[in-house]
Amino acid sequence: MLFSFRWLLLEYAVRSLFRRFGKNFFIFLILSFLIFILSSVLMIAESIKAELNATLKTLPDITLQRFVAGKQTQIPISRVDALLEIQGVGSVTPRIWGYYYFKPAGVNFSVVGLDIYEEPYSATMARLIKDVNWTQGSYDAMMIVGEGVKTILRENYYNDFFHFITPEGQTKKVGIAGVFHSDLALEANDLIVLPKRAAYEIFGMNASDATDIVLKVSANVSEIPTIVAKIIEKFPDLRVVTRDDIRVSYQNIFDYKSGFFLALFCVCAFAFFIIVYDKSNALSSEEKKEIGILKALGWDTDTVLQEKFFESFILSLGAFLFGLATALFYVYALQAPLLRAIFTGYSALKPPFDLPYTLSVSMIVLLFLLSVPVYIAATLIPAWRTSIVDADEVLR
Amino acid sequence: MTLTPEIIALLTLDVIFLGLGTLALILSLRIAYRWDYASSTPLQYRLTKQSTLVAVIIKYIFILKLPLFLFFVYTCDKLSSVITGAMCASGVVNSVGFGLDLTLFKLFNLYGFGFWLLLHVEDTSHVRLAYTRLKFILFALLCVPLFAEIVLEIGFFTRLDVSKIVSCCGTLFSAASSSASLSLLFNVDARLWVCLFYFFYMVSLIALGFKSTAGMIVSNTLFLIFALISLIVFFSTYVYELPTHRCPFCLLQKEYYYVGYGLYIMLFTGTFCAVGGGLLALMTHTIPYRYWRLSGLFNTAYVLSISAYPLAYYLKNGVWL
Amino acid sequence: MIVVSNVSKIFTQAEERVQALSHVSLHVAQGECVLLKGASGSGKSTLLSLIAGLAQPTSGSIVVAGEEISKMPERLSAQMRRERIGFIFQKFHLIPYLSVQENVTTPLVPENLPLHVIAEKAKRAMERCRIAHKAHMSVHRLSGGEQQRTAIARALVHNPMIVLADEPTANLDRKLSLSLIEELRALKDEGVTLVVATHDPLFFDLDFVDQTIELHHGALRP
Ligand SMILES: Nc1ncnc2c1ncn2[C@@H]1O[C@H](COP(=O)(O)OP(=O)(O)OP(=O)(O)O)[C@@H](O)[C@H]1O
Ligand SMILES: [Mg+2]
Repeated sequence: MLFSFRWLLLEYAVRSLFRRFGKNFFIFLILSFLIFILSSVLMIAESIKAELNATLKTLPDITLQRFVAGKQTQIPISRVDALLEIQGVGSVTPRIWGYYYFKPAGVNFSVVGLDIYEEPYSATMARLIKDVNWTQGSYDAMMIVGEGVKTILRENYYNDFFHFITPEGQTKKVGIAGVFHSDLALEANDLIVLPKRAAYEIFGMNASDATDIVLKVSANVSEIPTIVAKIIEKFPDLRVVTRDDIRVSYQNIFDYKSGFFLALFCVCAFAFFIIVYDKSNALSSEEKKEIGILKALGWDTDTVLQEKFFESFILSLGAFLFGLATALFYVYALQAPLLRAIFTGYSALKPPFDLPYTLSVSMIVLLFLLSVPVYIAATLIPAWRTSIVDADEVLR
Repeated sequence: MTLTPEIIALLTLDVIFLGLGTLALILSLRIAYRWDYASSTPLQYRLTKQSTLVAVIIKYIFILKLPLFLFFVYTCDKLSSVITGAMCASGVVNSVGFGLDLTLFKLFNLYGFGFWLLLHVEDTSHVRLAYTRLKFILFALLCVPLFAEIVLEIGFFTRLDVSKIVSCCGTLFSAASSSASLSLLFNVDARLWVCLFYFFYMVSLIALGFKSTAGMIVSNTLFLIFALISLIVFFSTYVYELPTHRCPFCLLQKEYYYVGYGLYIMLFTGTFCAVGGGLLALMTHTIPYRYWRLSGLFNTAYVLSISAYPLAYYLKNGVWL
Repeated sequence: MIVVSNVSKIFTQAEERVQALSHVSLHVAQGECVLLKGASGSGKSTLLSLIAGLAQPTSGSIVVAGEEISKMPERLSAQMRRERIGFIFQKFHLIPYLSVQENVTTPLVPENLPLHVIAEKAKRAMERCRIAHKAHMSVHRLSGGEQQRTAIARALVHNPMIVLADEPTANLDRKLSLSLIEELRALKDEGVTLVVATHDPLFFDLDFVDQTIELHHGALRP
C-alpha cells in the first residue's frame, strides 16, 4: 500500500528521544507549560460561556429600557396596558431593581424589588424566594441575599439585618430572612431580593415608575422581530433588548477575551519555537555521525526524515497530552486559581462560582491543532538539515 | 473581525503554510529550471537534497489540510450559532462574497496536492527520477490556488461580521437563490440530475472495466459534479426528510449524525483515486489499477449509501418526497 | 559482481579542487576477496563509498550486482545497501547507548519486516559473531573486541552478498586483528564478495586474497 506503518522506526525514535534526554526534556517541559496555559484559558472561557448560557435561559424574552437624552431612566408603569395589546405578547412585568453601593466594602449589590404576592417574572426568581419566611418582626422589611452578600455583610458585623441608606439620608433597617443557595452562582451571588415597597424607598423612586419592563412572548420565537418592530413604533423612546442580543454580546466578549489572550500567547509560543528551531538546527557532531552511519547502513533521507518526524510528533503529542491533563485538573478540580481572574475580575463579588465541566471534542481538536502541528513546523527544516547529512563523511 | 480561538488556529496554520509554501515555491522553481539528473555537478547535488525539503513541506501541508478542511467546515458550522440567520455552515460561508469560492479552492487543493503526492511516490521509485522536473512544475502551478486559498481564507475571517444578518441555506439553495448558476440548478427538474448521476456512475464502472484512462478521468469528473448537484437538489431532502430543505452543509450537523462527513469522504476519495490515477496513467504510461479499484469501491459505497436514503423513506412512508 | 570503469572523483570546496580518484577501473568477480592498499589520503575510503553508493562519481560508472549504483537515486541505492552490501567501518561506528541487539538491527529498521523475522535475523548474526550473550548490553560498555564483533554482526545481519571493510583493523591490537581476519576468511568461504581497504601489513600476504590493488594519489598503481 501507499503508506505502511514502520513500527520499528517509531521505536527507534523513542529510543533516540531518551538518548538525548536533557535537551528533549527541557523542550517537553516548556511545551507542556505553554499548552497547559493555553488549554486552561480556553477551558475557563468555555466554561464561563456555558455558565452564562445557563443563566441566559432564565432571562426574559424581551427587556424594555427607556432612554431619555441618551441615558437610561425609569419607565412609567402605565405603559404596561398598551404593551399587552400587541399581538404575541404573553405577559408584561415592570421590574424595579438597581445597584446599591456599599461603601465600607467598596462593592455593589444588585437589589431587586419583588412583590411576593405577584407572580415572579422568572422561574429562577420563583425558586429563589420559595420557602422564605417573610415575617418582619421589628424590622422595616425583610430580604434574602446571595452568599457573597451574606459574607460581606458578616465581615462588617451585620449578622441579622442591614441598614440601607436612602437617597434622602434616612436609614432603613432590613432583616435578613434567608440566603439562597443557587446553582446559578454567577448571577445570584451579589443579589439582594426584597419587597417592592422597600426597593422604591431605598432607591428613592416614584412608585408609578419601573426600572424596566420585561415581556414574555406567547407566540413563536421567530415572531420576536415583528413584536420588536411594533414596540418601537409605539414607543420610540424604548430600547428593546432581546435574549438573543444578550447572548451574542456575551459570546463576543468571551471570544474576544480569549482571542486577545491567544494573540499574546502566540507571541510567547513564537519565541519558544525560535528556541526550538535554533536548538535543533545546531547539529551536534555526534548526531551528525549517527545519521552518517545510518545512511551507510541503508537508511535513506526519507527514512531519516520520518524518524525525526516521529521524534517531534511523540514529543509534542506527549507534551500536548500532559499539558491537557494538567489543565483539566487545574481548571475543573482546582477551579483555576489565579487564571480565572482574567475573565471574572470585573466585580469583587462575582468569583465564587463553580466552573461547570464543558470539555468537548472540538476543544481538544482545537488545542491539538494549536500545538502539535505548529511544533512540527518549527522542527521541519532542522529535521531536513539533519537528514541530508552525507554518509561518506563518517567513513573517513 | 471576530477572533474566536478556532479562527486563530486556522489563521496561525495559514501563516505557517504561507511561509513554508513560499520557501518550497522558490526551491521548486529552481529545481524545475535547473534539474538535470544525468549531471553530477555540485548544483545538481544540492538540488537533489532540496527536492526532499520541498517534498517534506508539501507532505506537511497536505497531511494537515485534510483534517483542516473538516475543521474549517466545522468552524463555520459552529459560527452559524453566533451569526443571526445562519442555520448551518452554508450561511456563514456565504456571508462573505467569496466564501463559496474559498470552499471550492480548498477542495481543489486537496485534489491537487493529493495528486502531487501520487506523482511523488511514482517519481521516487523510478530509477531515473524521471518525473522530478514535472512534479516541481506541477507544484509551482499548484501554488497559485494554494496561495489564493490562504489569502481568501485570511480575507474571509477578517471580513466575517457576526452582527451581519445572513440568509440560511433554505434561501441559498433554492430557485430563489441570488446566485444565477445556483438558481439554475433548481429550475431544472431534479430527476434529470439524478439520472445523470446514475448514468455517469455506470459509465465510470464501464471505463473501469475497459481500463480506459480517458474514460476514467472524464466519467469520474462528471460523476463528481452530478453527484454534488443531485445531492443538493434531490438526495439531501431525503436525509432531512423535508421537501424544501436542500443543503450540502446541514448534513454535517449532529442532528443528522454527522453523516455528511462519511458521505463526502467516500465521494471525494472515490473520484480522487479515479482522476488522480488517470492523470498518473497519462504521465507514466502505466495502468494504476489499484487506485482505480479503490475508486470503484468508494464510488459504489457512496452511490449505495446515498441511494439508501430515498429508498428507506419510500419504504417507510410509501410515497416520494 | 563489482565493475568500476574509469571512475574519477573530484571534490570542489570553495574554489579548491581535490582529485580524490582519477580514472580508476577494476573488476571484482563474485566471491573474490580484493585488498585495497595505499597510503593515507590515497582515496581508498572514497572508492569504497562510491561502490556503496554513498556518493556519486564525478565521471565514470560503477556497476554492483548488475545495477549501476553510481546513477541511482538515493532511495534505490539505500535499498541496495540494505539488501546486498554490508559495511564494516574504520572505527566500528556503533550507535552509543543502544544495546548490541538494537545496533545489530538498525539496518533492518527501514524495511518493514515483522518483528519475529527481525529478531530471528539478529539472533543469527549475533550468534555467528559470538556476541549473542551480550545482546542486551549497552554498546558503550563493551570491550574493543566485543564492539568489533557487534559491528561485524551488524554488517552481516541482512546476509549481504558484498562486504566492504574500511580499515577494519585500524583500532585493534594484533590478536583481535587476527581474529577479524579469520572472520573475513569465513565470509569468503561462504561465497561473500569482499573488498577490504587497509594499510595494515597483516593483510598483505594472506592466502585468500585474490587481488591486491594499490592506490596512489587517487590513481591505480600497476
Ligand atoms: N568531502 C571531501 N571534501 C574534500 N576533500 C575530500 C573529501 N573527502 C575526501 N577528500 C580528499 O580526498 C582524498 C582521499 O581521501 P580518502 O578518505 O579516500 O583517503 P584514504 O585513502 O581513505 O586515507 P586514510 O587511509 O587516511 O583513511 C584526501 O586527500 C581527502 O582530503
Ligand atoms: Mg580512509
